[in-house]
Amino acid sequence: MSEAIMLDPDVGFIKDVRALGGGDLKKCYQCATCSVVCPISPENKPFPRKEMIAASWGLKDKLVSSADIWLCHNCGDCNTRCPRDAKPGDALGAIRAYAVSEYAGPKALGKLVRDKSKLPVLLAIPAAIFLVVGLLSNMVGLNWLNFSPAGGHEIWGHSYINNYLVDIIMIPTFFFAVGTFALGLKRFIADMHANALAEGKTKQEKIDPAGFVQAFIKIIPTIFKHQKFDECTENKSRSTAHMMVLYSFIGLFIVTNCFFFAEWILHIEGPYSQINPVKWLGNIAGIALIVGGLLLLKNRLAKTDSVSSYWDWYLVGMVLALGVTGMGTELLRLAGLYTPMAIVYFLHLMAIWCLFAFTPFSKLAHLVYRTVAMAYAEYSGRGF
Amino acid sequence: MTENKAPASGSILVVGGGISGLTTALEAAEVGYEVFLVEKNPYLGGRVAQLNQYFPKLCPPTCGLEINFRRIKDNPLIKVITLAEVTKVTGAPGDYDVQIKINPRYVNENCTACGECAKVCQTEIDSAYDFGMKKTKGAFLPFEMAFPARYVIAPEIIGTDDAARCKEACAYDAVDLDMQAKTLDLKVGAVVYATGWQPYDATKIDNLGFGQVPNIITNMMMERLAAPNGPTQGKILRPADQKAPETVAFVQCAGSRDENHLPYCSYICCMASLKQALYVREQYPEATIYIFYIDIRSPGQRYEKFYQKVKDDEKIIFVKGKVAAVEAAAGGAVTLTAENAVTGEKSSQTVDLAVLATGMQPTAAEAKLPGDITYTEDGFILNDFRKGGIFAAGCANKPADVVSSNQNATGMALKAIQTLAAK
Repeated sequence: MSEAIMLDPDVGFIKDVRALGGGDLKKCYQCATCSVVCPISPENKPFPRKEMIAASWGLKDKLVSSADIWLCHNCGDCNTRCPRDAKPGDALGAIRAYAVSEYAGPKALGKLVRDKSKLPVLLAIPAAIFLVVGLLSNMVGLNWLNFSPAGGHEIWGHSYINNYLVDIIMIPTFFFAVGTFALGLKRFIADMHANALAEGKTKQEKIDPAGFVQAFIKIIPTIFKHQKFDECTENKSRSTAHMMVLYSFIGLFIVTNCFFFAEWILHIEGPYSQINPVKWLGNIAGIALIVGGLLLLKNRLAKTDSVSSYWDWYLVGMVLALGVTGMGTELLRLAGLYTPMAIVYFLHLMAIWCLFAFTPFSKLAHLVYRTVAMAYAEYSGRGF
Repeated sequence: MTENKAPASGSILVVGGGISGLTTALEAAEVGYEVFLVEKNPYLGGRVAQLNQYFPKLCPPTCGLEINFRRIKDNPLIKVITLAEVTKVTGAPGDYDVQIKINPRYVNENCTACGECAKVCQTEIDSAYDFGMKKTKGAFLPFEMAFPARYVIAPEIIGTDDAARCKEACAYDAVDLDMQAKTLDLKVGAVVYATGWQPYDATKIDNLGFGQVPNIITNMMMERLAAPNGPTQGKILRPADQKAPETVAFVQCAGSRDENHLPYCSYICCMASLKQALYVREQYPEATIYIFYIDIRSPGQRYEKFYQKVKDDEKIIFVKGKVAAVEAAAGGAVTLTAENAVTGEKSSQTVDLAVLATGMQPTAAEAKLPGDITYTEDGFILNDFRKGGIFAAGCANKPADVVSSNQNATGMALKAIQTLAAK
């Protein structure tokens, strides 16, 4: 017999993972079919068989610090082939959700984001901030909130909700997210390396920052081309929707920065005319975001063999809310329906604030964790 | 007759002439009840008759079957009806009307099994008994010790010149080409279904390559290859090129314990592979054998001891991990991929011959039987003792080995007798 190992199961962790979408976890009987049929799992210490037993045993620390849970793209091939219908793909998704909340602080906020019943509270936060700061500005005569803007100048969102108000709230929120991610990543990278060393998944003794950055650069094309996603068989169709959403976000991020630069540095005021290339990019990205979001929704609804939890729906909802309110604002403005436009624009700002503030705590955090885990796998020579 | 004869008040229908049906029929008849034993094949013995050796003592099937055939011959209370299927069962416990369809054998009781008909027959047909690995003549004896020991003319050659030649060659006027299918109506007091099992269709397990990649066989095919009366006269050779294998892999749970196929454990496949590993070891002392498994299930002390013995053989390597991918390799070899769950390494093993340990599917899963029967989701017959009258014995009831099938079959003989006695 091999040496005795003392296990320290975290029962709460098992319960949480099961609630987050890993409900069939305990059906697993460790046949390891999943590790073989997984099209993207490495040869050395493949996933997800080992994750299934670790999760069943409540070995939380072993899992949340593992890069492997992020290498999984939820292709679903394992779910289809699993002889027990234990849905390893869903279990890994649930473990990822748990890992996000472990690394994002404050944890209390993470708990709110994971809890369906707290959604109204979360949405009320940006509404309250905008109204309070806006009304305060009105009291001191800045008048950043204007409920009935006068004509003369072309009417747009800014006429109702001043861009000063928007930026003074959004910029700190954005950096809050960046800071949260930075703190989470600092721990995550150290843990991930320790885990890889302990499990013999790395060829590197230490993390050399230059080498890590090189690995990071190397995996960027893989991500942009969705090469790993395309190796999937079962859920290959999801690749298109995912790619559309990713590129839309990138496009809109560029547009936002252009606008920010133009407004505050070059002092060029909006709204831009429809022939402005920045506007083109914004429109294309906005439409792609809605179409991509609808495809995400369709794929999820069509998936009967896998579990979709609130964690997953939150992201789909966020994508659609951003797209619909954004494009809605523009269309209402062009139609001259200014009051409805102002309301939709307000909702759009709420959605953006939520995107910034809650991303480190939501499923969208995979953007950061998976990228870093893939870079680490590349750096450690795991052949992923 | 003797005073220990029970008061018979009706007869028992036993459907299926495999080891369970034989046991039920004999146990009931030997205490004085009239039994109709209906078998769909032209011979008795069922799956056991196809094996090379069987548990618990690794006897050849001739050993156990012969004594049962002898007991049947000696017992006038058992009426054996081969090539027959039950088409209707109506009535209530103690009083059933049964209809049986008997297909023509085209050979009557005059047959002495001299074999002259087979000699003149030119047409060859796939032998189902050998899973298509061998051809037989259109006029054939199912196997050497088939009971009844009579030739069969395959329906495929009826109406051809071959059939006429067979008739001509027969010196005993045993070939009757005008024989027609007929129905037989019986009144019985109890019915025991011992309809047994069929090997799960391995082509359905698409990631294990059966039927696509050469030199992948099933465990039942392995039995035929190892059997002295099999297609290779007992020599274990690769089907594609008749090469003696130097490496053999056994793939456990091929379709069993799998929600996508048979969700239950087929009970005997682990033991079958352990046994077959020894077949290979005996024939090829230099061969290396791999057994890929999830868990080895060796129920009971006797089987556990057998497992320990096989495990101690250093030429037999156990890999804990289910084979989930298979591909053809150079020279007719087969590459199997599994994750070794002990070491956590995904590894591929290339072998000369791969054996899929396919499981048991109840025969009733695909063709429902007549009568008021409750099935499990998987097609096994549930024994409803409160309702009574119709029972299932052996593998029609659950996956089992010969020993447990016989125990169960004896019990069902008693249940059938009780039905008659209660009438």
